[in-house]
Amino acid sequence: MTATPMTKPATPPGPTSGGTHPAPTSSPLLAQGLTLAYDRLVVAEDLSVAIPRGSFTVIIGPNGCGKSTLLRALARTLKPRAGRVLLDGEPMDKMRTRAIAQRLALLPQSPIAPEAITVGDLVARGRYPHQSLLRQWSAADARIVADAMAATEVSDLRDRHVADLSGGQRQRVWLAMALAQETDLLLLDEPTTFLDIAHQFEVMDLLASQHERGRTLVAVLHDLNQAARYGSFLIAMRKGRVVAQGTPAEVVTEDLVREVFGLECRVLPDPETGTPMVVPARRNAHVRHTPDHA
Amino acid sequence: MSAPAVARPRTAPVNRAVPVNPRAVMVSGALLVLTLALAVLTITIGELGIAVADLPAVLAHQGSRAQEWVLYSNRLPRLLVAVGAGAAFAVPGAIFQSVTRNPLGSPDVIGLGAGSAAGAAAAALVWPGVVPVPIGALVGGVVAAAAVLLGSGRGLRAPYRMVVVGIAVGAMAMAFVQFVLARTTQQEAVQLAAWLSGSLQSRQWGDVVTIGVALAVLLPAALALTRRLQIVEMGDDAATGLGVSPGWTRGLAIMVGVALTAAAVSVAGPVAFVALTAPQIARRLTGSSGPGMVAAACMGTTVLVAADLFAQHAPWGAQYPVGVLTAGLGGVYLAYLLVGEWKKGTV
Repeated sequence: MTATPMTKPATPPGPTSGGTHPAPTSSPLLAQGLTLAYDRLVVAEDLSVAIPRGSFTVIIGPNGCGKSTLLRALARTLKPRAGRVLLDGEPMDKMRTRAIAQRLALLPQSPIAPEAITVGDLVARGRYPHQSLLRQWSAADARIVADAMAATEVSDLRDRHVADLSGGQRQRVWLAMALAQETDLLLLDEPTTFLDIAHQFEVMDLLASQHERGRTLVAVLHDLNQAARYGSFLIAMRKGRVVAQGTPAEVVTEDLVREVFGLECRVLPDPETGTPMVVPARRNAHVRHTPDHA
Repeated sequence: MSAPAVARPRTAPVNRAVPVNPRAVMVSGALLVLTLALAVLTITIGELGIAVADLPAVLAHQGSRAQEWVLYSNRLPRLLVAVGAGAAFAVPGAIFQSVTRNPLGSPDVIGLGAGSAAGAAAAALVWPGVVPVPIGALVGGVVAAAAVLLGSGRGLRAPYRMVVVGIAVGAMAMAFVQFVLARTTQQEAVQLAAWLSGSLQSRQWGDVVTIGVALAVLLPAALALTRRLQIVEMGDDAATGLGVSPGWTRGLAIMVGVALTAAAVSVAGPVAFVALTAPQIARRLTGSSGPGMVAAACMGTTVLVAADLFAQHAPWGAQYPVGVLTAGLGGVYLAYLLVGEWKKGTV
């Protein structure tokens, strides 16, 4: 890696303590007053969020609340109708998209693997934003790609066709491509949705290890317990608005789950990690108290 | 350009992500050799053919006057137009198939060839002398492309709609050509009819210049877009994430594709199905995971030179327009593709 995108390493964490800077730059990714819409359907209005630097931010909320839409706006794949997104204090709509790609990677919900592509070739495409006519493929690129494949445990699959892989393997390959982009920011739209439970945790553990290495992650997740277990900062949305944000302990409460998801539940400490764990309340007599054959 | 990759333990150096795929280079080289052999055949066989032994002398302007006439006024321009038009049909095929993520999205299937033909016919016969024929073809191609994109309602996201709308646009363009045909004198009409099925008969050096200039300008542009088109094939969101604007890439690629198609049609007529088949065959031969412009261009050249050679010397006697042959063979391939899609339940 030649240059680090972090321009203000010594910025104090508080949003108002600077004084000289009009825009708070402690957040690498800042959304201000977004209006988000698809054609005539307005999903959110005047939506603002700040992603804390170094956090594993998880956006949660019921279907249709606008969480994926917000992520797409943060990743510039959806152009906001109003408002703006700042990347390290710079408005993204004023930046070249390739310059953004050198600092922010995205794993979309359903990327398309080109016909007949091998794992090694797909992961190598993550280096695209760093290449140009003058700066072609280099030994450094090869090393970064090899490291990304090692981190996601797909090195042995290098010469396999992506189309022949299982869902869990394929998601790890896409993740390797995003890691090969070598960005401080990584955005993920429902990275575990199409995986079985073992592969879900495999992917979440990979993300956690990337978080530990200092990357800032922003993910949309469906599973509240996974969000609470892995996330360091949660944003709860409902009907296009942020209802609550903070640490998992602050956000995942019985009241909030009722308000946001309309679900009666108990919140207990996860016996494995101590993070909040949502246990839905029994709602009717059809659910048995005890197994009959016990 | 190739990677000075440091050998790493356990794994081979990852240098296959460079834009040059070694298998594509081999395939392209083999196709060039094949084309060269076909070219020599084209010049040497038949009644007026120049014997291989005489060829160096004729090329050095030391042959007989009859030989000079056969080569420079007859066979060489025709051959060179076939070479250029083959590439100029095939590259837009690769572009459009990539942009629509579907082999059926090729310009000849979605009516752009027909649109260019209508434009060329108008420029040649309805308003002769107002605009050059290639410009007329370009205008016709642009109008047809706009009609297909607007008519399908969802732009490029629905290749099947584009095929259906393209059939309608192609039919309207052909109706216009028939209208032109009905108003012209008999001799012009006969020429136009031959050109309309795609013909390389009596090509002039002017046609060679037209297709040569078009390729010199547009082929580098297509090559420059290849990597971005590869990235856009991964989906708009993934492409944006990698710093490629899908909208701009598609827009530029479509402009290049329409212009190349227009150039090819203006010199060779709407030769059917080279755009559909050549990139697909090239892609399978190279095992490539993206649109390979060079391999597609070489394949288009080989296909058109071979088809024209066969059309000139076919056993059934009369010289048929080359488009009749490509339409016959390409039609079989189109049917094969459609049956495949039908089995998948996408049509």
